[in-house]
Amino acid sequence: MADTTTAIEPAAALAPVAGRSLWQDAWRRLRRNRAAIASAVVLLLMAFAGIAGPWFTPHPYDRIYPQYVRAPASLDAYPQEDTIIPQFVSALERARITIGEVEVDSSTVRAPVSDDKPLDPRIVRYVDRSDLFNNARLEDADGNPLAEGATSGVMVADVQRVRFYFGTDANGRDLLARILIGIRISLAIGVLASVMALVVGVAYGSIAGYVGGRLDNVMMRVVDILYSLPFIFFVILLVVFFGRNFVLIFIAIGCTEWLDMARIVRGQTLSLRRQEFVQAAEALGVGNRGILTRHIIPNTLGPVVVFVTLLVPKAILLESLLSFLGLGVQEPLTSLGLLISEGSDNMRSAPWLLIYPAVTLTAILFALNFLGDGLRDALDPKDR
Amino acid sequence: MDAPRNPILRVRNLEVNFETNDGTVRAVKGIDLDVFPGETVAIVGESGSGKSQATMGIMGLLAANGRATGSALYRDQELVGLSERKLNKVRGEKITMIFQEPMTSLDPLYRIGRQIAEPLVHHRGMSARAARARVIELLQLVGIPNPKKRIDSYPHEMSGGQRQRVMIAMALANDPDILIADEPTTALDVTIQAQILELLADLQKRLGMAIVFITHDLGIVRRIADRVYVMRLGKVVESGKTSEIFAQPNDPYTRMLLAAEPTGTKAPPPETAPALIEGRDICVVFRVGGGWLGGDPTEIRAVDGISVSLRQGQTIGIVGESGSGKSTLGRALLRLLPSEGEVRFEGRDISRLDRGELRPLRKRLQLVFQDPFGSLSPRMTVGQIVTEGLLVHEPELSGKDRDRRAVAALEEVGLDPAMRNRYPHEFSGGQRQRIAIARAIILKPKVLVLDEPTSALDRSVQKQIVDLLRDLQRQHGLSYFFISHDLAVVRAMSDYIIVMKDGKIVEEGPTETIFDRPEQPYTKTLMAAALEGTALHIG
Amino acid sequence: MILYVLRRLASAVPTLFLIVTISFFMIRLAPGGPFDLERPLDPVIMQNLQRAFGLDLPLWQQYLLYLGNLLQGDLGPSFTRRDFTVVDLFRYGLPVSIVIGGLALSIALVVGLVLGALAALRQNSWIDYAVVGTATFGITIPTFVIAPLLSLFFGVMMGWLPAGGWGTWKHAVLPITTLALPQIAIVARLTRGATIEALRSNHVRTARAYGLPAYVVVGAHALRGAVLPVVSYLGPTAAALLTGSVVVETIFGIPGIGRYFVQGALGRDYTLVMGTVVVIACFVIVFNLIVDILYAWLDPRVRYD
Repeated sequence: MADTTTAIEPAAALAPVAGRSLWQDAWRRLRRNRAAIASAVVLLLMAFAGIAGPWFTPHPYDRIYPQYVRAPASLDAYPQEDTIIPQFVSALERARITIGEVEVDSSTVRAPVSDDKPLDPRIVRYVDRSDLFNNARLEDADGNPLAEGATSGVMVADVQRVRFYFGTDANGRDLLARILIGIRISLAIGVLASVMALVVGVAYGSIAGYVGGRLDNVMMRVVDILYSLPFIFFVILLVVFFGRNFVLIFIAIGCTEWLDMARIVRGQTLSLRRQEFVQAAEALGVGNRGILTRHIIPNTLGPVVVFVTLLVPKAILLESLLSFLGLGVQEPLTSLGLLISEGSDNMRSAPWLLIYPAVTLTAILFALNFLGDGLRDALDPKDR
Repeated sequence: MDAPRNPILRVRNLEVNFETNDGTVRAVKGIDLDVFPGETVAIVGESGSGKSQATMGIMGLLAANGRATGSALYRDQELVGLSERKLNKVRGEKITMIFQEPMTSLDPLYRIGRQIAEPLVHHRGMSARAARARVIELLQLVGIPNPKKRIDSYPHEMSGGQRQRVMIAMALANDPDILIADEPTTALDVTIQAQILELLADLQKRLGMAIVFITHDLGIVRRIADRVYVMRLGKVVESGKTSEIFAQPNDPYTRMLLAAEPTGTKAPPPETAPALIEGRDICVVFRVGGGWLGGDPTEIRAVDGISVSLRQGQTIGIVGESGSGKSTLGRALLRLLPSEGEVRFEGRDISRLDRGELRPLRKRLQLVFQDPFGSLSPRMTVGQIVTEGLLVHEPELSGKDRDRRAVAALEEVGLDPAMRNRYPHEFSGGQRQRIAIARAIILKPKVLVLDEPTSALDRSVQKQIVDLLRDLQRQHGLSYFFISHDLAVVRAMSDYIIVMKDGKIVEEGPTETIFDRPEQPYTKTLMAAALEGTALHIG
Repeated sequence: MILYVLRRLASAVPTLFLIVTISFFMIRLAPGGPFDLERPLDPVIMQNLQRAFGLDLPLWQQYLLYLGNLLQGDLGPSFTRRDFTVVDLFRYGLPVSIVIGGLALSIALVVGLVLGALAALRQNSWIDYAVVGTATFGITIPTFVIAPLLSLFFGVMMGWLPAGGWGTWKHAVLPITTLALPQIAIVARLTRGATIEALRSNHVRTARAYGLPAYVVVGAHALRGAVLPVVSYLGPTAAALLTGSVVVETIFGIPGIGRYFVQGALGRDYTLVMGTVVVIACFVIVFNLIVDILYAWLDPRVRYD
């Protein structure tokens, strides 16, 4: 173990060599953890879907389609071909003309028609009368309006076709759009509640840990009492009291979670204060503020970050639970918990209503868990 | 020694490798060892030499990612690569081991009687009653008083020295051929160390087993070992009879180790030197326990009425074992701890000043800690660490000026200033201690309290730090309080000694008086225990 | 030790008192009352009802009355289920919740400990990965997702077990499984982590160094210490499981006490809500005490005096 006791030339020596901080080490370790990186990607995608997704879907999340209640998930557009063709055919049959093969594409339906006599342009009314079709017109083979007196042509009508990739729910709303909104709400509440728990918990815990003594005792007694109260009760009571308000929900959840954060930060602060490098700073004459900012907080960040990644899924779960019990966000807004609750009500007749939201929620929670594990291993490595 | 006999342990070309995320770590790179019946063999080396890993490899105790290759023959039975079941017939019965940390080596959940009995029950098939009787015998053998009661104690109810005796009892239970002792006294106080060494020597005489003693302490080697192997970075650099090696070392590394004993003395300051720091009747009391429904708190007097006076240019060595209160005294003198009694600095009473008033004085009173790993803030660069004091005491300095001062300070302690943007974990123990010293002297202090500054370092590095401290004292006219339990270092650094025990001064006086003509019985015990075999001079 | 138990019980009383007081006033502060039905009642009838249940007295008087009754073991009548007193409701519902919760807890303990220990002993083998993977699954997926999925699969699609209801042992299988799965996951993970730590410890190294057979090293020296964090975890968990899970009881239609709180709060059934709070707080206190005593029994370094 040789010490570097070399003599130095001034000029070259003054240029310092960059060091490798502990954060950089941690980042390198995190990058090597493929599960964590994959989870981070998944979460980013989910966040993007939640934030921007609802703008891109063709259906607003609260738009009701009375004719498509409980429509199964399908890549095909609705109405499906086996609904369109018979209707078209039966509409045309009234016109008493010969009908050829019906073709359906994404927005129109067409069929060659012919008759012995010239085609009466008014037969389009038979088609228009149906709910499904509009803008019925007669065209020739090239798509131009059919000339007068022609005996054969093509009957074309517009069909409004919609796609419900995930199906629709019991009220006829597009599930995909609702899931996207659900992601947005669930993630928002999870993150906001955790941020609140973070701010309150870190402030409370670090003050208790740093000041110590009686103040610490009192503050921790308060935490202990609050902890032993069945807190879920208070969330429920708060919600019942104030009504189902989006802001209130994440405040209520944040109030449940800050206790653990305060405990952790206090523990960290206490053990840091006893560390020799903090004593060394005191011996140098560094004041409280300097010690907190340069020594205590940077060394608390690690465990705090890890804990936050555990807090977010807990918050999301708590919100989902509340929604499941009927105490969460109000209709027509929805969250993943609410969707799962509705899905489980309709489980027998429309299982997709349960499966898609359940898979989405599970994926988010998984990703958060793996990311949290990865962060913990990166920031506090122990040989596995 | 005598006519050639067959070794009971014959190790050839032993290698120990560890698979880590950063590649293969080669801890032991092919060593040969012989252990003859009834002799004491020492394996000596600094940290990282592989001395512990070698024996762990032989005993099959490596961590999951470690592998041992080569040959280790115990009486014609190959131990390397042996299956766990077959190995279990040898270890605990024919070859036993005691470890460095007796507190964690014993299972905290079981009584010591049960733990000592376990090898008896499993190897000899003894009944519980027979085992218990034998355990009491063993406890008596190792000198535990009141064995019939103590047999039912838990490890945490015993002192460090007693726990090590318990481990020795366990090791002797089945009359082993070889006892491997891995740094068994390193974690113990000096007086207890002496007792344990005596006990081992005595037991060996009585029972005739061979002892393999792993240590970094040459003093111990000289005292107890017949033959010695010197290891460095996984290889044996020299081996032979102890007396021969010590008299005429061949390998330059061995020579360096032997020469690393701290030498020299410190001359006392001139009579006219003024008193810089004076403490009078200092008491530090800690209150533990208590609280509502819990009863009265107990009082611990860590420092009990101590008076001391440090003159300009002097180095006072404060010696004592753990729990003597020496570190607490150092901190009380620097007003880092509340205390009763009076403290004067440069004639001014600083005992009752509050934090703000003390602040400007801090630059003249500095402290260097024992643990180089823990005393540097892990997330600050070395440059930031060293200049933090300047932020407080010379806030008018610009960033560039501070940087220049950092460069100067690092140069002074013998470090390459180009490293100042690196982080503490990128440096070795000795280098970190230099950084800590740089942090202290950059403020140009007058008094430096050095709290066990070399205790966590290897001998060779210790010597460098001692030399550095001496140079700095000469150049800057510093005065030191040198707190340590390592008497050899204290002797070399100080001109005046204070011996502490249980918060009180047992004896004090000029260095040579204390070392050569101690008066108090405790001081005599301390000197005898520490200095047997450490007074070495080459040539 | 007896003294310690008594001290703990004594200090539980003020905590309980605080909880009861806070809950009492919180639930009363919520707007609306137990008799606000969909069709508004005749005001005379409303008045009579209020008087009959003592709701026309000033709040602090009601509070004191409640406390008085509480000390005599009378939790009052239920406001929404008017043929029953709260004590009756608990008498019918609590055993159900306890049975389900207790079985789930026991299964979780046994299975979780075994799986966790196995995973630690065979670290990085396929068993380890399987256990850790399933454990992550179990911890992540919430009960209200597992329950309907299990009900859907085993009840509706396969028809092997009833999808809900209560009556025979078959009705208990799915609810117990739903409750047990996440607990198995948590216990397995805790055990695995603690066992790995223990296997690396110095005293296990000593046991190995003395040639003790593997079952002694693992069983006596490693596992006994590894059980400790599981014991700590058990306290609040036991209390929560034994007092019924609202999700499980709602989805499977189990007549336990788990739903009482939510239904009571929504219906402003003050006495039912208070009763639930008291019962749950008692369970928490008792189980925390049991766990602490168990811990002290297992670990001689922990001594309360």
